[in-house]
Amino acid sequence: MATTTTNEDRLSETFAALANSTRRAILARLAQGESNVGELAEPFDVTLPAISKHLKVLERAGLVVRGQRAQFRPCVLDPAPLEEISTWAEQYRPVWEARFDRLDSYIRDLKQPEGSGEHDD
Amino acid sequence: MTDKDDAGSVVIERLFEAPVDLIWKMWTEAEHFKQWYGPNGASIPTAKMDVRVGGRRLICMEMQTPNGTMQMWFTGEYREVVEAKRLVYTESMSDEKGNVVSPVDMGMPEGHPDTTEVIVELEDIGGRTKMVMTHAGVPGDSAGAVGWGMAFDKLASYVDARSR
Repeated sequence: MATTTTNEDRLSETFAALANSTRRAILARLAQGESNVGELAEPFDVTLPAISKHLKVLERAGLVVRGQRAQFRPCVLDPAPLEEISTWAEQYRPVWEARFDRLDSYIRDLKQPEGSGEHDD
Repeated sequence: MTDKDDAGSVVIERLFEAPVDLIWKMWTEAEHFKQWYGPNGASIPTAKMDVRVGGRRLICMEMQTPNGTMQMWFTGEYREVVEAKRLVYTESMSDEKGNVVSPVDMGMPEGHPDTTEVIVELEDIGGRTKMVMTHAGVPGDSAGAVGWGMAFDKLASYVDARSR
């Protein structure tokens, strides 16, 4: 039970971390390779401390890992939490596929031709 | 497996042998919606659908289990209503009065977002209908939730390109 709560919390954290355009931009940038805080701040009109704050949120969500080299502490993307998010969505896929199969046959029933011979091509 | 399998959303594309008007009704008129929406073995005894921007929805799914009849309720709000073209609504698990409840409390698998968004896009293809349905997670209580899914998909494909 404890693990359920932990995973759930972690996932909420991932969603919360992603619900910000600057943080998404940071992740997109890191997807192209590691960067340090200074490089990450460049394209944005925000201060270094503001970027650091965003990075902390991303770190807490497990999306970014920071190196230990004191000066530069390069940031590296960790896509694992994103893969976790995909799991709930994939659980839904077969449900929707089955729904649309039913929708398809329901439509056929609705259109049931009184006489046949609708195919003449 | 395909490009459409973005993390955090399900995208399904279908071609129906029916005009867009009819497919639109399937999503927006309760009597039709009830006929196909319930998962296999379930029925939809209640479907209240106030299909206009800001209108509420309340759906009940009913299943027969060895322990008797089980009901699951879902609520949400219509966000975009463009007749026969585009429908966007949110969905959360709820009680029968439409009060939102946590998915985990309802026994859903862990990791299910509290609110999800369903986007239905219809396109007329010579009398037939191309339908693209997107079901995406929405970060809790975020006012700017619409469009978030798209941004996320972009990000996911960046990540995907890098990690494969």
